[in-house]
Amino acid sequence: MKNGARDWYKDAVFYEVHVKAFRDANGDGTGDFAGLTESLDYIQELGVDCLWILPMYPSPLRDDGYDISDFYGIHPSYGTVEDFQKFLDAAHARDLRVITDLVMNHTSDQHPWFQASRSSPASPYADYYVWSASDRRFADARIIFVDTEKSNWTLDPLRREYYWHRFFSHQPDLNYDSPAVRREMLDVMRFWLDRGLDGFRCDAVPYLVEREGTSCENLPETHAILKEFRAVIDQEYGGDRILLAEANQWPEDVRPYFGDGDEFHMSFHFPLMPRLYLGLRLEDTRPITDIFTHTPPIPPACQWGLFLRNHDELTLEMVTNEERAFMYYAYAHDPGMKLNLGIRRRLAPLLDGDRRRVELLNSLLLTLPGSPIIYYGDEIGMGDNVYLGDRHGVRTPMQWSRDRNAGFSSVEPGQLYLPVIADPVYGYEAVNVAAQARQPSSLLNTMRRLLAARRTSSVFGRGSIEFLRPRNSKVLAYLRRHGRQTLLIVANLSAAPQPVELDLAAFAGATPIEMLGATAFPTIRTAPYFLSLGPHGFYWFRLERPGDGDEPFGIERSPI
Amino acid sequence: MSAVAAGPELPPDVDRQLDGLPPTELAVSVLTYNNAATVPAVMSAVRGGLEKHFTGTPAVLINADAGSADATVDRLAESGLPFVRARHEAPAAQLGAVPFHGVPGRGAALRLAVAVARRLGVRALLVLEADVTSVTGEWLERLLRPVLEHGADLVMPVHARHRYDGTITNLVLAPLVGALFGRRLHQPLSGPRALSARLVERLTAAPRWPASGRSMVDLWIAGSTAADGLSVHEARLGRWHVESSTRTADLPTMVAQTLGAVFAVMEEYEDLWMATANWLPVPAEGPALLPADEPAQIDVERMVGAFTRGLRDLGTIWEHVLAPDTLGDVLSLEADDLERFRFPDDLWARVVYDFALGHHWSVVYRDHLLRSLVPLYLGRTAAYVLATRQRDAAAAESALAAVADAFEREKPYLVDRWR
Repeated sequence: MKNGARDWYKDAVFYEVHVKAFRDANGDGTGDFAGLTESLDYIQELGVDCLWILPMYPSPLRDDGYDISDFYGIHPSYGTVEDFQKFLDAAHARDLRVITDLVMNHTSDQHPWFQASRSSPASPYADYYVWSASDRRFADARIIFVDTEKSNWTLDPLRREYYWHRFFSHQPDLNYDSPAVRREMLDVMRFWLDRGLDGFRCDAVPYLVEREGTSCENLPETHAILKEFRAVIDQEYGGDRILLAEANQWPEDVRPYFGDGDEFHMSFHFPLMPRLYLGLRLEDTRPITDIFTHTPPIPPACQWGLFLRNHDELTLEMVTNEERAFMYYAYAHDPGMKLNLGIRRRLAPLLDGDRRRVELLNSLLLTLPGSPIIYYGDEIGMGDNVYLGDRHGVRTPMQWSRDRNAGFSSVEPGQLYLPVIADPVYGYEAVNVAAQARQPSSLLNTMRRLLAARRTSSVFGRGSIEFLRPRNSKVLAYLRRHGRQTLLIVANLSAAPQPVELDLAAFAGATPIEMLGATAFPTIRTAPYFLSLGPHGFYWFRLERPGDGDEPFGIERSPI
Repeated sequence: MSAVAAGPELPPDVDRQLDGLPPTELAVSVLTYNNAATVPAVMSAVRGGLEKHFTGTPAVLINADAGSADATVDRLAESGLPFVRARHEAPAAQLGAVPFHGVPGRGAALRLAVAVARRLGVRALLVLEADVTSVTGEWLERLLRPVLEHGADLVMPVHARHRYDGTITNLVLAPLVGALFGRRLHQPLSGPRALSARLVERLTAAPRWPASGRSMVDLWIAGSTAADGLSVHEARLGRWHVESSTRTADLPTMVAQTLGAVFAVMEEYEDLWMATANWLPVPAEGPALLPADEPAQIDVERMVGAFTRGLRDLGTIWEHVLAPDTLGDVLSLEADDLERFRFPDDLWARVVYDFALGHHWSVVYRDHLLRSLVPLYLGRTAAYVLATRQRDAAAAESALAAVADAFEREKPYLVDRWR
């Protein structure tokens, strides 16, 4: 690995991809590991560092794979464990790391453990799940999927008891109070780590343990189990395998998931994402700057995961009712675009296909503190189809070319797992990799350039952040610092050109070097530094002070 | 004593100066370029050394000058010694960016000094640099005596240095040159040196002086001496101190110039090193040196940081330069934990040899290639500091000897892939 550091994830850019959606190599209409392996050159050339693979395990697919029925296999539509191993080895050969989703909280109701558990209270698997004679226990726990579930309990007709599920009723929660369950899950992790996997994105981690009188989220017992898992993985695998938490919570509630650097390596920063959209739509920096005042410091070895979009709806759980109403107004004018407490749309259509806004949000994604996660297809501005139901509309086949089925598969279009996007604006004939690869100014090539620029400095992944407070609140400006390096990022959230004066007196004498074009801007003086930005324009500057680069190692006195 | 001999053509003005000189035994050559501030100190040491150690021995001062615009030449002329002034050409690029180790056009300067010494028929030629102000009279004695009395043909200096000075020399240059030429020289590019009449004669007759200046000529002289089976000695001198505002202090430039010179010599003079497989001891004259060992502020963490940034940013160049196994081993180094960070000697030797081969085959633009070695050099240096900072001077010396061993051991790897 080029970046062989144990904390490689701090510098990494992640690429989230669904196996079924990327490329179909065996011609059955569903993407597979062989197809993903064939596509690795594309992913490598994009300039990302780590793939995050959505659930790939055998599953009845009632929740798109988050309902796992066998933790040790690969869904037959995607290939075999051997195919996965070939893919993993090929990725590593390209210096790409791979993490996969692991659903820790629950299984499918088709999982043999659940089938055995429900068969009899005397089964060895009886306590693998949370059973109760009453559906009144844990009454303080909220219902997450409010659109489909009325209770967190469902009566099982066979065992004649209720089982606990925080998500769909076909996804019974595992009982982490059972030592056997904890041992089983550790063995599952070992199975994949032994194959060389670089880590797990752990799904729905706040809900592992239930206690009466609590919200059953973020409990100390849950943290203790996660720390136990982390310690075992560190000890057995040398410390460079990572755990990424999905904890859709406020930053101060997510903070405990980092522990003292002994629990999760990374966690998503959920509340930031909607505020990026909010700030953009309001043309106001405050939603963005405010969320950082609510973001606590995290241990040095830990990292936030940042994203603009993912495979789920754009979740609005972490905004106020007022903000949510505005977000619906601004980004989901059609009721069909709403799902649960969120918006089921992709990045480009959310931004009305406005290339400048797409680039601006990506610029923020790549320059705010954390490791960025890019959702497959967003690098070319793929569209969605809200009429496909649930979140299927943002999980359609990757658009490779204007060939049949967007170059994704050779089957009859009706055989595809989901239809390709075919509308006139975002359809595969207008938006595809082949066309954008040939066009130097395409979104794809712009993304490649942004990612390449990000790789030139470790400050992006490791630096602190300090917001400047210019009078013009439409212009977001912040300093990123790490060691002796300082970057200045300036972004115009407005659709109109904006001037801005920045107080950079502390950097008097330094020269801002624009990082995408390597252009030296006028030297900073003690007077306010003036910049003008085009509509939704942005700058990434490296501040070079006189003598930068000459800082001594201590061996320069007479090295010859 | 011998009279002025006939020889290769010299500039007419030099010829005229030689015609008027008495027979002489020793020549002291000072290479200059705008060194008016420092030549008095150098000449004071020269006069003192000659008077104390070579009383009555006729000596002449040869000044090879690159075109000084200050009072350098006048100051030398005032030394009281018979004086030959010779001006040589220096490439404009070198006048603008003086290399780290002395005058521009150093190759032309040395060739001129050798030619004059040959015409004078001296028994020994001493070469000094005009900005090295730590020179003492003892240096003359220790450099010249092995030539005059012990049969040495080339006497190279060993300076007393801090263990973390000269890391380019200690970790790259010296082990590489030692493996190439079969003689372990501590400081192959240090300027002061003494040459025998026999070596002067051979060099004068040599048809293939390096065309460019810089360090190539120094290395070529050392390589030619060893390849001809002549006797190479070392003289232990005191500390080395230079007063110069023109030498570059930019580390990447120094690495690129140093390695570039060795690689160029390897390219143009394969006969000097390809077949060498015997490593002969180099006798050393003078009392053992006590290296300076005061605590040093070495930012190892930053050096390792530069190494890991190199891993990230220069991988695309290294993929072209390093053999797959070498690259794999480099990528496997545990750079995230300073206490565990090591850079094995054999791996380091292969890295340097891969760069030599990459230079030879021009796998990437050569300046990029040379500069891309810098993070690797910083990583290797950091590993050396980490391994020796808690240990005594003998252990540090022993660590360097192990590096030299590795370069010699791995030499077949280089030779096998060169053709």
